[in-house]
Amino acid sequence: MTESDIPGPRKIPRRDFMKGAALTGAALMGGAMTMAQNSNTQDTPSPAAAENPVPRRKMGGTGLDVSVLGIGGFHLGTPPDAAIATEIVHRALDAGVNFFDNSWEYHEGESEIRLGNALKGRRDKAIVMTKVCTHGRGKDVAMRMLEESLSRLQTDYLDFWQIHEVIYGNDPELIFAPGGVAEALLDAKKQGKVRFIGFTGHKDPSIHLRMLSHDFPFDSVQMPLNCFDATFRSFQQQVLPVANKRNMAVLGMKSLGGSGEMVTSGSILPEEGLRYAMSLPVSTTISGIDSLYVLEQNLAVARGFTPMSADEMAALRDKCRALAGDGHLEKFKTTKQYDGDIGREQHGYPPAKELPI
Amino acid sequence: MSIPMRGFGKTGVQISALGLGGHHLGDAKDQDTAIKIVHEAIDGGITFFDNCWEYNRGKSESWMGKALRGKREKVFLMTKVCTHGRDAALAMEMLEQSLNRLHTDHLDLWQIHGVAFDNDPELFIRPNGAAEALAKAKEQGKVRFLGFTGHKAPHIHLQMLDTGFPFDAVQMPLNPFDATFQSFEQQVLPRLNQRGLAVIGMKPLTGKGEPLKKGILTPDQALRYAMSLPVSTTITGMEKLDVLHQNLRIAQNFQPLSPQEMDSIREQCRSLAADGRFEHYKGSLQFDNPEARWAHHYPIDPEQKEVKEMLLETTNTGRPYPEVPS
Repeated sequence: MTESDIPGPRKIPRRDFMKGAALTGAALMGGAMTMAQNSNTQDTPSPAAAENPVPRRKMGGTGLDVSVLGIGGFHLGTPPDAAIATEIVHRALDAGVNFFDNSWEYHEGESEIRLGNALKGRRDKAIVMTKVCTHGRGKDVAMRMLEESLSRLQTDYLDFWQIHEVIYGNDPELIFAPGGVAEALLDAKKQGKVRFIGFTGHKDPSIHLRMLSHDFPFDSVQMPLNCFDATFRSFQQQVLPVANKRNMAVLGMKSLGGSGEMVTSGSILPEEGLRYAMSLPVSTTISGIDSLYVLEQNLAVARGFTPMSADEMAALRDKCRALAGDGHLEKFKTTKQYDGDIGREQHGYPPAKELPI
Repeated sequence: MSIPMRGFGKTGVQISALGLGGHHLGDAKDQDTAIKIVHEAIDGGITFFDNCWEYNRGKSESWMGKALRGKREKVFLMTKVCTHGRDAALAMEMLEQSLNRLHTDHLDLWQIHGVAFDNDPELFIRPNGAAEALAKAKEQGKVRFLGFTGHKAPHIHLQMLDTGFPFDAVQMPLNPFDATFQSFEQQVLPRLNQRGLAVIGMKPLTGKGEPLKKGILTPDQALRYAMSLPVSTTITGMEKLDVLHQNLRIAQNFQPLSPQEMDSIREQCRSLAADGRFEHYKGSLQFDNPEARWAHHYPIDPEQKEVKEMLLETTNTGRPYPEVPS
């Protein structure tokens, strides 16, 4: 077995907590701690066969090593031709990327199906995450979704199973209600169907903090982390230090605004945005990639990744501060644009075609 | 018949506890209906009239101006300026346009419209920002009192108050759903009461009246709830005469709800309030006008009435505000 092989379900001993706690103290005092200062997640070369592979990091307390770049599942479902998605996954694996994001609800299952097909024969090279889309419903719904996800992904276990889109004010309450989805996470882990559990959301740091205030053994947490978030309703400031303190696997997302808005508006360059996100104390940065062009662009950044210095990060934050101030480059926080229809339906909101933004 | 009058903050002025919303006035079937609504509202005891520079591309102000000819002194007239972070000179231009459309030489209250984005307070108070226009207009006697309004987030309202600008009035959503969700009632209202500022409640029926259509609240419960809070007035939209008549009846017979009755309405709404499903103005851009979106680089909504009107203007019909085909 090589270092890159990801074994099946097994018990992972919890890692030393004190180490993570000490790191967080630094993060709290200095605002953003950079990768350079963060010895716990010091990047190491990938054992993948490729030349100049994407570097890897320790993944919180899970014992896994994860590539600094992860492939987003939503965008795998975007190209009309499924062969493009397959090619993206294969080239990413060849480059040393081993993290693959997905969700039960992306493109009505098509994203999971495409990833499942693309990983055929290479499942053990990948850390596969998907998300459960109860949006307030109970654990029975969750367990049905888990079976569907496993079947679409053609696997008998997930590496990570996360609660999707925790964005509504009452989500934490519904998730932890008796018979709620939190119980499903524990059951699935106990049954060996998932190795690690977590949650994700793009709306509001205070909702993430309420999730984390429950005494619940989350292994991972996913959140928007980018150079605009750094100064606006900031997950970086409010949530990241808490997750680091608990030695959780932190999955950054929306490094370029969700659909590249930060780049297409001419505000930053893609490499600036990606490097900033990857220089934070996170395990991986999930990037939505719907073409080979974007894949190669992002792989180039990831392959040659060297963390930004604290000064470089501060300079980029300052450059972005004024544009960050009204959230127009982070519409997932300020509008309905990124809120999925299934969640809207469960929460009594009109679908995207009636309330697009 | 009359409706209760209340003090407008610490100004010594009295206004009616129910106010007529300007946006819906521009949604009336035609100009004659709008004029009739205003006249019957005055006869029914309403003295507080709301408006805004950008409502229906000026139609709301124009119709109200026509309706108030010869009756200007009977009402307390408010309109709003739509700088959305832009500068004082633009605000002064908008003021002249508003005064012209409203056929008056002064406003009783001039407010900053749509304070809805996190950087609005900072843009308002900056050198050459709209704050300077407000102060200047008051000094020139063109407006008597100053205020601001917004429907998005209590923390933005609090930041506006923290700018230290001497506001006389503040407007915000107040209804039984707001009472327990990202709540202006809990977070902003007590501070205004403490400072003796005039409080103007809006969206007593949550904007488009969804909870009424779904049978969760009656109009009487919703309006009485809002009017029973410690506010100077409650603005509601009335684009039809029968809506006006219904609201006048409630206001003319108004008895405040007891604290127990208020609690019971809050409880009735609490679980449905918790994800904001009836308060889209807080979590979506649905209630944000094109001027606000433009100034903040958000996309405009081609389905929004103001946007359709804007696009139709390019057809140069010669009318100031072309009718929008629905």
